[in-house]
Amino acid sequence: MHPELSFEQAPPIDVPFRFFLTAPLFGIAAGLLLFLVGGDMLASRWTPTALAGTHLLVAGYLLLAMCGALMQFVPVAAGGNIWRPRLVAAWTHPLLIVSVTLLVAAFLTQRSTLFLAAAHGFTLALGVFGIVVSAALWRSPARGPTIVALRIALIGLLVTLALGVTLAIGIARNAGWPLLSLTDVHAAWGLGGWALILLAGVSYLVVPMFQLTPSYPAWLARGLPLMLIMVLLAWSTQYADTARNESLLILLGGLGVSSLFAVETLHLQHRRRRKVSDVTLLFFRTAMLSLLAALLSALVFAMFPELRFDPRIAVWLGVLAIVGVFVSAINGMLYKIVPFLNWLHLQNLCGLQAVPPTMHQMIPAAAMRWQFRVHIAALSLLLAAVWVPALARPAGLLFAVSSAWLGWNLIGAVGVYRRFRNRIRAGAEDCRC
Amino acid sequence: MPDDLLRPSTPRLVVDGRDMQPPEPLEKTLEGLDQLTEGEELLLLIYCHPVPLFNILRNNGYAWQEAVREDGTHEIRIRRA
Repeated sequence: MHPELSFEQAPPIDVPFRFFLTAPLFGIAAGLLLFLVGGDMLASRWTPTALAGTHLLVAGYLLLAMCGALMQFVPVAAGGNIWRPRLVAAWTHPLLIVSVTLLVAAFLTQRSTLFLAAAHGFTLALGVFGIVVSAALWRSPARGPTIVALRIALIGLLVTLALGVTLAIGIARNAGWPLLSLTDVHAAWGLGGWALILLAGVSYLVVPMFQLTPSYPAWLARGLPLMLIMVLLAWSTQYADTARNESLLILLGGLGVSSLFAVETLHLQHRRRRKVSDVTLLFFRTAMLSLLAALLSALVFAMFPELRFDPRIAVWLGVLAIVGVFVSAINGMLYKIVPFLNWLHLQNLCGLQAVPPTMHQMIPAAAMRWQFRVHIAALSLLLAAVWVPALARPAGLLFAVSSAWLGWNLIGAVGVYRRFRNRIRAGAEDCRC
Repeated sequence: MPDDLLRPSTPRLVVDGRDMQPPEPLEKTLEGLDQLTEGEELLLLIYCHPVPLFNILRNNGYAWQEAVREDGTHEIRIRRA
C-alpha cells in the first residue's frame, strides 16, 4: 500500500524543472574538468582541481536536483505548503548556480575574495530555501517516516552549509583552524546527513510506488535517519579529542547503517509485484550496489593497514558515493519524476477533452537505456582511473557525455510537454497523440 | 463527496491498477470512462487514494464511491453523476 499523494498544493511545473534541467550541466562541467586536467585530479581529494570537481557534483548537480525535488516533494508527498514556491525558486536557483560557479573558481584560483563571495551566496540561497522549506515541513500535519526523514535531512543540509561557510572563511582568512578535520565533518554531513537521509526519505515513497515493491519495514524507515545522525555526531565529536582514533570504526559504522538501506532496497526490488525492469530500477540498483561496494571497500582497507594512508582510497570512496550512489539515484529518479509531472500537469490542463502523451512517449525508452549504459561505463572508468591515471581523461569525457545525454533526454520531455500544452491552449479540437 | 449518490452494482469495466506503475492506472481509468454509458460503472482497484483522479472526475461530472479492503486495496466505483 502506498502513502498518499496530494497534488492540490503542487507548485507550477517550472519550479522543479528549472532545478532538474540545469543539474546535468554541472555533471558536464565536472566531466570536462577531469578531461582537461587528467589523472592528477584523482591523485588526492585535496588537490584544488579535485575539490573543484567534487563541488561541481555535490553543490551543483546533486544539490540543484535535490532542492528541485524538495520543492515538488514537500507539498505533494509531505503535505507541506511551501510559501510562494515560484519566488523561492527564482531566488534560490540562480543564486545556487552563481555560488557554485564562484566556489569552483575559488578552488581553481585560490582567491580569498571568491571563497568569501561563494560563502555569502550559499548562505543567501540556502538560508532562504532552508527557512521556507523548514516552515513547510514543520507545519505539515503529515506523519510517518518520510516527513521525519525530510526534516532531519534539512537539518543535515543546514549543518553542511554552516560548516562549508566556516571552511570558506577559514581558507579565505588563512585562519589557523583545523580545516582538514572540519572538511571531514562537512563532507560526512553533506553526504550522510543531507543527501543519504533525503534519498532514503524519498525512497520510502517512490520505490514502492514506482517500482511496485512492498513498503520499507517501519523499523528501518524510522530508525535509519536516527542511526545516521548518531553516527554523524560520533564522527563530528571525535575531532574534539585528538587522543581518540576511531575514525575508521565510525566510518565503517556509518557505511554499515547505510548498507541496511541498500540491502533492504535491493530486497524490496527483488520482491516487486511486477517484474518490470525499467531504467529507473536499474539506476537505483546501481546506486544501492555502489553503497554496498563502498562498505566492502572500507572493510578491505581496514584489513590492510598499509593501504590506509594511500590518498587514492578516499578518492575511490568518493567516486563510489557521489557518482555511484547519488548521481545514479538522481539520474534514475529524474527519468520517473519529469515524465510523471509532465503527464499530471497536462492531464490537469486538458481534463477529459484530450489524452496527453503517455509516460513512455515523453522520453524514448531506448534513449534512457543507452544513457544508462554510458553512465555505467563512465562510473566504471572513473573507478578504474583512481588506480590507472591514464584512464582519467576518457572517464571524464564519458561522464560529460552521460550528463549531457541525460540533459538532452529531459529537454526532449519538456519539449513534448510544451507542444501538447500549446495545442491545448490553441484550442485544437483533437489533441490526441 | 458524492458517496451517497452511488450504490454498488456489477461494474461494466474493471481496471486493476495494483500492479501498474503510475500514472498507468489513471490512464486506463480515463480511457475506460470513454466507454461508459449512462448508469454503467467502472471499478478501479488501486493501492492508494488517487487524489489526481478525483480532481479530474470532479471537474468532469463523474461521481465515485470509495471503499478500502483489509489488504489496503482501494475500490473506487465511478459513474456519470
